[in-house]
Amino acid sequence: MLILKSVDELLEHIKDVQSSVKSLSNDSLMNMSDYMQENKLEIDDKIATAFQYQDIITQQLDASLEAIDSMRQSIAVFSHAFKSDEDLANGSLMKLQEKLNSALKEAKEKKERFSGKSSGNESENDEIEFF
Amino acid sequence: MPLVIFVDDSETALASTRMVTNSMPIEVKQYTEATVALAEIKAGMTPDLIITDLNMPVMNGLEFLKELRGVTATSRTPTLMLTTETKTELKQQGKALGLTGWIVKPFNPAQLKQAITRVLRLPA
Repeated sequence: MLILKSVDELLEHIKDVQSSVKSLSNDSLMNMSDYMQENKLEIDDKIATAFQYQDIITQQLDASLEAIDSMRQSIAVFSHAFKSDEDLANGSLMKLQEKLNSALKEAKEKKERFSGKSSGNESENDEIEFF
Repeated sequence: MPLVIFVDDSETALASTRMVTNSMPIEVKQYTEATVALAEIKAGMTPDLIITDLNMPVMNGLEFLKELRGVTATSRTPTLMLTTETKTELKQQGKALGLTGWIVKPFNPAQLKQAITRVLRLPA
């Protein structure tokens, strides 16, 4: 149980760090955007890509934050079961493992889905698709 | 000037589209929430082109598109999805709702300009 408490605290810390990184990253690019607009600077391909990478970073972090929340919820449910009934806890351990695996799988799928053309898929989706 | 609205929960994504389009002969309005854009449309705003993100909290791009199709003023308004998503089934859902096209982020500024020019039939 103490191990799970430590894991939960670690997850909480990771969540705090990721939230801060997301916020700092956004503020950084918005400052750049303000500077460019104040000085009437033209946006080129590289700058446009940099701005959109920030959006991708945010989505990736949001997906992993969701996974962390899901894992912490599963740990909380298991911890509650363990306190109330040890037999129930044995069954819950399997469920906990399944839920953690499921949260990890979903987070990995979202990482892939939310990468856009930033993960080497440029040739596949280089053109705008009109229906 | 034709009115183009952008809907994206990311401030930096909106900043990049704002910088790309500020030299174009279009009026641009931007929204971080689809529900707010939808409320303005229902109140009488008539955009000529809608460009929306897909993954957004509260109302996602496909839900927004479905709502747009239920409003007489935007039942046939050209709409582009601008997203990091590349899943074919999501594209098909958009197509079934009358989506005009799908742009995968990060977009190339020239391509976005060309897409807007093409859909609005602006002088090249």
